[in-house]
Amino acid sequence: MALLPEHAMAILVIEDEPKTGDYLQRGLGESGFAVRLARNGRDGLFIAREEEIELVVLDVMLPRMDGWQVLEALRADPATEGIPVLFLTARDEVEDRVRGLELGADDYLVKPFAFVELLARIRTLLRRGPVREEELIRIGDMEIDVLRRRVRRGAQPVVLTAQEFALLHLLARRQGQVLSRSLIASQVWDMNFDSDTNVIDAAVRRLRRKIDDPFTDKLIHTRRGMGYVCEQDAAR
Amino acid sequence: MKARLRTSLTLRVTLVFTLIVALAASGLGIYLYRAFAGELVRRDDVQLLGKLRQVQLLLGRPGAAELLRTQPEVFRDTMSGQENSLVRILAADGRLLADINALGEHYPVPPSAGAAPGTAAIAAWTTRRGDPGRVVAGSARLGTGQVTVVVARAYAERSAMFAGYRRQIAGAAAVSALAAALLAALMLRRGLQPLRSMAAHAALVRPGTLGRRLDLAGMPSELRPLADAINAMLARLQAGYVRLSGFSADLAHEFRTPVANLLGQSQVMLAQARSVADYEALTVSNVEELERLARMIDSMLFLARAEQDEVALQRQPLAALDELGKVADFYDGMAQERGLALACSGGATVLADAALLRRALANLLSNAVRHADEGSTIVLHAERQGERTVLSVTNTGKPVAPAHLAHLFARFYRADAARSDADGSTGLGLSIVSAIMALHGGEAAVQADGRSMRFSLAFPMA
Repeated sequence: MALLPEHAMAILVIEDEPKTGDYLQRGLGESGFAVRLARNGRDGLFIAREEEIELVVLDVMLPRMDGWQVLEALRADPATEGIPVLFLTARDEVEDRVRGLELGADDYLVKPFAFVELLARIRTLLRRGPVREEELIRIGDMEIDVLRRRVRRGAQPVVLTAQEFALLHLLARRQGQVLSRSLIASQVWDMNFDSDTNVIDAAVRRLRRKIDDPFTDKLIHTRRGMGYVCEQDAAR
Repeated sequence: MKARLRTSLTLRVTLVFTLIVALAASGLGIYLYRAFAGELVRRDDVQLLGKLRQVQLLLGRPGAAELLRTQPEVFRDTMSGQENSLVRILAADGRLLADINALGEHYPVPPSAGAAPGTAAIAAWTTRRGDPGRVVAGSARLGTGQVTVVVARAYAERSAMFAGYRRQIAGAAAVSALAAALLAALMLRRGLQPLRSMAAHAALVRPGTLGRRLDLAGMPSELRPLADAINAMLARLQAGYVRLSGFSADLAHEFRTPVANLLGQSQVMLAQARSVADYEALTVSNVEELERLARMIDSMLFLARAEQDEVALQRQPLAALDELGKVADFYDGMAQERGLALACSGGATVLADAALLRRALANLLSNAVRHADEGSTIVLHAERQGERTVLSVTNTGKPVAPAHLAHLFARFYRADAARSDADGSTGLGLSIVSAIMALHGGEAAVQADGRSMRFSLAFPMA
C-alpha cells in the first residue's frame, strides 16, 4: 500500500451510465486513485457513509435517487458533509449549475468533457488548502526561477517571452499532469471557451524550440488526443 | 354572464345597441306623448273658454235674469251638452244664482278674470275620482247687474286615454329595442364572418402549410390591417421555420461526416489484428473527431441560448486596445508559424462582456489567420465612431466573391465549398460572432475590397 503513489486517494464515482462508469473507474484507477463505483444513488450514498472516501464524482441523472438528493443526503450527514463533490451534468443550464453549487457541490463539469479536464479538477479539489507556490522549480536539468522569471537548462540560460514563460510555468507547476489545450488556453491566456486547438499547439511548438529542441533530453511531451505534459521521463 | 359580457364582442355590442335603441324609442315616445297631451289640454282649454263665452252671451240676452230666476232648468238645458260641464253663477254679493253640478263635485273658484279671460286664467283641479279638471271664472252682465260665471270641466276619459297612450309608447319602445337586439345580433354575426373565416384559416396553419396566406379579397377594410399583420407574421414564421429546418438539416449533415469517420475507421481497424501503434493512431484520430463534435455541440448550445437571450451579459467598460492585444497574443504563435504579423492599433473604450468580446475577437482572428496570405499583416483596430466603438480585424487573402459575403455569418456557411474541415473549424465561428454582437445590441459586418477583407464589430456605447 505504501508503495502506491499519492497514497491512493479513494474516489467514489456514482454514475449509472455503464460506459461512463467503466471508463471513469479505469481512467481514475490508472491515474493512481483507488476508485469505488456505484451504479445508483442509494448504493453510492451507502458507500460514502461506510467507507473512507476522499472525493465523490456524482452524476446528476441517476435512477431512483437522483444526484441532487444524494448531494443533499451527503451534506446532511456529519460523517460525509466534508467530502468534496464534483458533479457531472449533461444539461448545461445555469439553474443546474447554481442548484448544484447551492446544495454544496464543490465543482461541476458539463458532458461531454475531456478526461484530463476531470483529472485536473479532481486534483485541484483534493489539494486542499492554499497551494504553496514554489519559487524554484527543477525538472531534470531545467531550473525555473519563478520570481526572477529566469529559465536555464544545465548551465545554459533560456530567454523566453512573457507568454512562453507563463506557459512553461503552468506546465512545470503541474509536472507529470497532462494538461488539456482548453485548460492551457484558460490559464495562460484567460480564454475560457473552446477555441482553435491549433493555437495552443503553435504556442507549445514555439516554446519547445527554445526549451527542448537544442537539448537531447526532452521535457515537454505531447499526449496525443489529450494535451501536453511536462516531465523528465520521456518513456511513459 | 359577466364573463361572457367581457369576452363576447357580439353580446357587448348587441347590448349597447339595444340600450341605444330603447333610449331613442322611449325618448321619442315621451316627446310625442308630451306634445300630444299639451295639445289636448290646450284644445280643452280653448273649448272651456268657449263655454264661458257661451254662458256670458246667454246671460247678456234680454230676459236672461228672468229666465234664470223662473226656469233655471231651461237655462241648464241650454247650458249643458256634456254631462261633465259644471257651471256656477254668482251674484256680485256672492249669492249663488245657479249651480249646474250633477255629480256634486267640489272645485275651487279662481278669481274672476274679467269679461274675456285667456288660457292663463284657467286653473286645475282634481275630481273626487282623481280625474283632472279645469276651471275658469269670468264676469258677465246680467240684466243691469254684474255676475261671476264659473265654468269647470272634468276630463275623466282623458286620464284613461293618456294611460293607454303611455302603455302603447312603452310597448312600442320595448318592441323596437327587441327588434334592434335581434337585428344587431344578426348583423354582427354576419359582419364578423370574415373574422371567423380568419380563425378557421389560422386553425389550419401547420408547419407544412405555413405558405398559405389569408385572402385579402373581399376582406372589410377594418380587418385589412389585422389580416396584413397576420400574413406578415406567417411570412416571418415561415422564414424562421425554413431557416430552422434548414439548420437541422445542416446540423445532421455536419454531424454525419465526423460520425461516418468515427464509425468507418473504427470498423476498418477492428476487421484485422493491428499493432498497438495502429490502435493508438485510431484512438487519437477518434479523439480529434470527437473533440470537434463536442465543440460543435457547445457552439450550438451557445447559439441556441443566445438566440433566446438566455446568456447573461456582464457588460463593463473595457480598454479596446488591451482586449485586441490579449487576443493577438493568444494567436501570436499560430500567426508566426504562418509567417503572419499581427498589428494592433487605435484605441477606445468598449462596453462589453469581457469573455464574450474575447470569444468574438478570437473567432475573427482565427478566421483571419486561416485565410491570410502568407507573410502578410493582420490589422486589429479599435476606434470610436459616433455613438459606437468599432473593433475590426483586417487581413489580405484570397478574395471572397461578393455573393458569399452576405452569408458569411450564417451557420455552417463556407465560402469555399471544397475546403475540408481538416483545420478543425466547426463552421459556426462567425455565426457565434454575430450572435455575440446581437446580444450586445451591436452589429457584426464584413467588407471586402479586392484582396482585403475587413470584419468589424460595432458596439453601442450605452
